Amino acid sequence: MSDLVPKPKPRPAPESLPYWQAAREHRLALPKCEDCQKFWFPPSRTCPHCLSANFSFQDVSGKGKIFSFVTFHRVYRPAFANDVPYVVALIELDEGPRLLSNIMGVTHDQVKCEMRVEVVFDDYDEDISIPKFKLV
Amino acid sequence: MINAITPSRELRDTCAIVGTATSKLGKVPGVSSLDLLMDAIRNALDDAGLKASDIDGVLCRGPDESYSHHQLLAERLGINARFSTTLTNGGASQIMSVALAVMAIRFGLANTIVCGFGRDTWSRTHASEEARVRNETRPESMLAREFGPEYGYFGATAAHAFGATRHMHLYGTTRDDFGEIAVAFREHALRNPDASMKKPLSIEDYHAGRLIVAPFGIYDCSLRSDAAGAVIVTSAARAKDLKKPPVMIKGFGFQNNTRGWFADDNMVVTAAKQAGEAAYAMAGLGPKDVDTAQIYDCFTYMVLTQLEDYGFCKKGEGGAFVSSGALRLGGALPCNTSGGQLSEAHCEGMLQIVEGVRQMRHLYPENRQVKNADIALISGHGGNQVCHSTLILGRA
Repeated sequence: MSDLVPKPKPRPAPESLPYWQAAREHRLALPKCEDCQKFWFPPSRTCPHCLSANFSFQDVSGKGKIFSFVTFHRVYRPAFANDVPYVVALIELDEGPRLLSNIMGVTHDQVKCEMRVEVVFDDYDEDISIPKFKLV
Repeated sequence: MINAITPSRELRDTCAIVGTATSKLGKVPGVSSLDLLMDAIRNALDDAGLKASDIDGVLCRGPDESYSHHQLLAERLGINARFSTTLTNGGASQIMSVALAVMAIRFGLANTIVCGFGRDTWSRTHASEEARVRNETRPESMLAREFGPEYGYFGATAAHAFGATRHMHLYGTTRDDFGEIAVAFREHALRNPDASMKKPLSIEDYHAGRLIVAPFGIYDCSLRSDAAGAVIVTSAARAKDLKKPPVMIKGFGFQNNTRGWFADDNMVVTAAKQAGEAAYAMAGLGPKDVDTAQIYDCFTYMVLTQLEDYGFCKKGEGGAFVSSGALRLGGALPCNTSGGQLSEAHCEGMLQIVEGVRQMRHLYPENRQVKNADIALISGHGGNQVCHSTLILGRA
């Protein structure tokens, strides 16, 4: 039933377009400062570490750990009715930045903080692939 | 690096809260947020023995959909206001209003200021089938553009639940600990005839409640309420002649962890830490001096972690502290003694201030009064989880 209701499709902000273009090619790329060499997320046009505007999107390892996570039991949008209970995790990448994602291929009771994960890509449609993670 | 600051003690005890009241709380269909707030202000004026024409300042957090809310409010009060504005720090706004009032009065910008907040959240989201549908079928264009909705991530419950999971992982905190907070505040609400929740809650009921976003179940979550509260602030000198015992404003402090809730350790060591340190320094007091705490309880976990951040116990020991029964009336630190946002009504921290004032007046019947309470600590938290404010009140 709820399969007929599409899940929200990311609507990239101008500053995050390169992130989504890389994801389409199944690469995880984040803004990296050319001056202080640090990565950050979410994308913006100024390095929050040193305020340099000198940056480019660079591929990261796609590896990290689960900093924290929650399990949705309530259906907030009909598109997720068949998914509950599902996990949303805060992933801390080895390069430092943290981002929200889903953990694929496990049930919610198998997920724990500090578990190692790596990125996989979930093709939404021909324009958008969504970075998700699996346990390693 | 930013230098450490020492908040000025010059403002301590210069102003007092001389009137306080609420609107009807809980389910108040057919009354707008502005009119709920007007009810609270009229009652607060009556409590203080003042008239609207005695007020020359208006500070409030408007509902999100209301532009220049303070202007609408002053218009309904029928007054021109010397010092008037609307704050947007979410649940941290209400204490910030009181602090701004103290500064304005101390520096001669106004004489007597009303601070308040009102909301019609239950009516907007639950009062009718139409309201429910409108609330649950918000168009996709109203969601965040990216980095959340595509993963099924929605709402404040989940944001705070991330902190709860992390705290449980680091310190072995359990849902039994969260449950004691819900049970204790419900017990307090049963003593408060104005509270929304009227039925007892046991720890078994807590665990039987349906999960919302684990580790939070329904009883970890605050209420959706129609509610308003107001306080009237004036100088200590003027306060002496008024109807009720004045309650002194001894300290306040603020911290906004605007690097983000998900950054650093902010979801486990909250902005309450620095806000509290600033407020203690201004008041010349510490956690051992506090007789009752009125803590911003949007979710059970937030009470536990703030109690640690305020120094009532060490970081990581909040579970044992709350499970000792400390938060109950008669316990070591009676907390949210009117039932809090979990069981009285959710008014974004405004009712915490009202209850702190009332505890300092010693006018409650014995079963609601914290014995020998001279100092109350009050917290406000909100605005994407990162804005925090602390207020310390004392008996005159």
